[in-house]
Amino acid sequence: MAVAIEVRNLTKKFKKGKRFRKGEVIAVDSVSFQIQEGELFGLLGPNGAGKTTLVRCLANLLIANEGEIEIFGKSVSKDPLFIRHQLGLTTGGERTLYWKLSGRDNLSFFAALYGLYGKEKEKRIDYLMDLLGLKDVENERVERYSSGMRQKISLARALLHDPKILLLDEPTLGLDPQFSRFIRGFIKDELNHKGGKTILLTTHYMDEADELCVRIGFINRGKIVEVNTPSGFKREIPHKEVLEVRYLGTINPTSVERMSGIEKTSISSKDGVSHLKVITPRGEDILADLIELLRKEVKILSIDLKEPTLEDVFIYITGRGLGEQYEERSEDNMGGVQEEP
Amino acid sequence: MKRDLRIIWEEFRKNLKILLCYPVVWGFWAIFPILWVLPLIFQGKALVGGLNSPSFEKLTGSGNYLAFVLIGSIVSTYAMSSLWGMGQSLREESYWGTLELILTAPIRPFPILIGKAILESCFATTGAVIQACIFTFFLGVELSFGKILPVLFIMVLLLLGLYGAGLALAAVTLLIKESRGLVNTLNWIFYLFSPIRYPVEVNPITRVVSLAIPLTYALFAIRSMILLNKSIIQLWGSVVSLILFDVALMAGSYYVFLKVEQKVRKTGTIGMY
Amino acid sequence: MDMVMHYLGAMWAENIKEWKIELSYRFDFARSLVEPFVYVLPYLLFGIAVVGGRNSQSLFNLVGTGDVITFVVIGYLFMGFLNTALWGMGFALRKEQFFGTLESVFVAPVPRWVYVGGMALHSTMHQGLIIMVQMIMLQLIFHLLIDASGLLPAIGVVALMLVALYGIGMMVASLALIFKAGWIIAEALHSVISVVTPIAYPLAVLPIFLRKASHFFPTTYGILTIRHFLIGEDMGFSVGTSMLRLSLLCVGWAIFGLFIFSVVDRKTRRDGTLGHY
Repeated sequence: MAVAIEVRNLTKKFKKGKRFRKGEVIAVDSVSFQIQEGELFGLLGPNGAGKTTLVRCLANLLIANEGEIEIFGKSVSKDPLFIRHQLGLTTGGERTLYWKLSGRDNLSFFAALYGLYGKEKEKRIDYLMDLLGLKDVENERVERYSSGMRQKISLARALLHDPKILLLDEPTLGLDPQFSRFIRGFIKDELNHKGGKTILLTTHYMDEADELCVRIGFINRGKIVEVNTPSGFKREIPHKEVLEVRYLGTINPTSVERMSGIEKTSISSKDGVSHLKVITPRGEDILADLIELLRKEVKILSIDLKEPTLEDVFIYITGRGLGEQYEERSEDNMGGVQEEP
Repeated sequence: MKRDLRIIWEEFRKNLKILLCYPVVWGFWAIFPILWVLPLIFQGKALVGGLNSPSFEKLTGSGNYLAFVLIGSIVSTYAMSSLWGMGQSLREESYWGTLELILTAPIRPFPILIGKAILESCFATTGAVIQACIFTFFLGVELSFGKILPVLFIMVLLLLGLYGAGLALAAVTLLIKESRGLVNTLNWIFYLFSPIRYPVEVNPITRVVSLAIPLTYALFAIRSMILLNKSIIQLWGSVVSLILFDVALMAGSYYVFLKVEQKVRKTGTIGMY
Repeated sequence: MDMVMHYLGAMWAENIKEWKIELSYRFDFARSLVEPFVYVLPYLLFGIAVVGGRNSQSLFNLVGTGDVITFVVIGYLFMGFLNTALWGMGFALRKEQFFGTLESVFVAPVPRWVYVGGMALHSTMHQGLIIMVQMIMLQLIFHLLIDASGLLPAIGVVALMLVALYGIGMMVASLALIFKAGWIIAEALHSVISVVTPIAYPLAVLPIFLRKASHFFPTTYGILTIRHFLIGEDMGFSVGTSMLRLSLLCVGWAIFGLFIFSVVDRKTRRDGTLGHY
């Protein structure tokens, strides 16, 4: 199978701070990987890990400091027009469409940018609207669409010119479970299996990567830590179990880490409830001691003992959870500092 | 009262900090209004061959069209900034997503608006003072210190009424999200029908319509004091007119703002940008 | 040929998109047609107040025509194209940043200049419509005295002037992408050009340093030559000289605008600020 995307030693740095306190943040750090034609490849990492920066470099929206990117053997920096013909891009977020235009008008405009006209253009738009279930609302203004519908239009836009490669940057971000399920199914069945498209999908949702991707690259602090299949990753922590404790209150993590039989821990919180995950060879052996320790400090809500998931593998390899964010490198804010004239 | 004063101060301070992130904006508003009047001055020179116009004197009592235009520039910059500032500021709160949070706080909205208005006045005053200095030192417009106090008195009267109108515009901003069009339309009316750039006496329509705009009386009074050496007593008609405008605008706008605020709370559109 | 059709189609699509968005704000659109008329009136009324009528002997002595109204109106009407360049084109990209669509547009397989060309096309059509509306209104109210045989050559001058203005527009468009208060650049440029361009007065009344500065802007030669064709204004130099200078300014500003645009495009992609509003 041919190589669709090849990245070699890619590095991207951004300036940090203003005036006298300037520094640098390395958003992507010597990253190398390949994606085969027709593969659905996932880039999994927490917020601020460098996923969006990497996608923007691939799409020639960002110029890297070092390294090379090739799409079907052609350099992204030297052949930008060729590259743009091959790629379809969706980015997360609400504001990537013209809100005062209808869904159809939005697609009509972008179709022209991709060289589609007349009957061919109308046919293509009709097909995509049907496929994505937007026929009933195609003539309504985007400002009246729900988030899920806007994301569908974004996907339709990326597919207008039937590109060979799709870069999907957090395609289910902020969507409700129903729309998320639809989008995931669409990506896997329609685009990848039926359409044969090469897809690079970035996400921080572990189950999404697990469900969709043939191979996954773990990205952490700008580096690709490891590339493997989902099952390959899970086999990396063989004979391990994961104890997950839900509780109210705060604990001192070091007191848990110091317990014998515990290999890795991760603490996160959601909706006021904290989650402690502990990776251990045998959960039963440490359960009693752990409960004893925790009871002194917090109120325990539930305890689960299970097989490791991808997120657990991520924690095991990197020491951080997927739900955590790096304080110094929010990818939303990445992009340097705009200075006053 | 103490609480309201504290809120006014905090609102002033917050907006000042944000404004200081854009130092270029201060400089721009201080200097560029001067460029906007230069074409009129050059036009006058081309049309009459000098800086004095007998025809202008017949209409306004003074042939010094240069001073006429410069005074109009300073007063209008001040006035427009005060008029639009509140509405624009509310719109920015809506854009940032903070408007709902302000309006759901256990405070009355007026101290917030007053805080915004005070900052706009300080901002405009800085610009007006810089312009006045440039006009005085570089363009030879004479302004004796004895005239400053009565001029300031007229400005205060003008601004009270304009703040009232500004309050109504702020209410419109809450109601009609796309209020830019209405604000710009009102801008035209001021520029076209008040004697900012030209004497409204030159045309019967502009003369009549200008009587409905408080800026007309303020400009007339200030120009009469500076160019014709009239005293404030002699200008009692303009003073009374301004006071009447102040009362009407402040009372009317207060009522409008309260009603509109209630309406947007009912319809739930407060925070929508 | 396919590529040419593709690029032309993309430009036209950009134009149509802008019209659709503009027409969705009907009140603003209607206002934009009338607004320039309102802004020119104070200058006309000022002129009438200073002269005491419509005709000025002083103006006649300077340029060979004394009709204040027609002189000023022509200047302001055609200066509207400067607004087009600075605000229409100049803020088109910034608007895309605000909508969040700039990256989606820039990832499409058309060169950047095609997109800018589409913006220019829209701005020109919009301004052309405004001028037509204003001409009708001003003719009805003020009975402008224009030599109709000068209309065609005047349009030719406008076309030439537009090339240079598009260069300025591209420069402003790119600077607006990187400076947060980019509107200040457009406003400052507009203010300066409006002073040095002989819109409502002949060049002769300007101080020497401003007269010299005026020679760098296409609006100077544009307005002078248009007025020469429409009302017989004496420019102080021949039409040939004026057109030659205007042509040189076209080339200069177009190249400069494209250069700044390409520099800023690379900078925003290097700094990662392309999508940032």
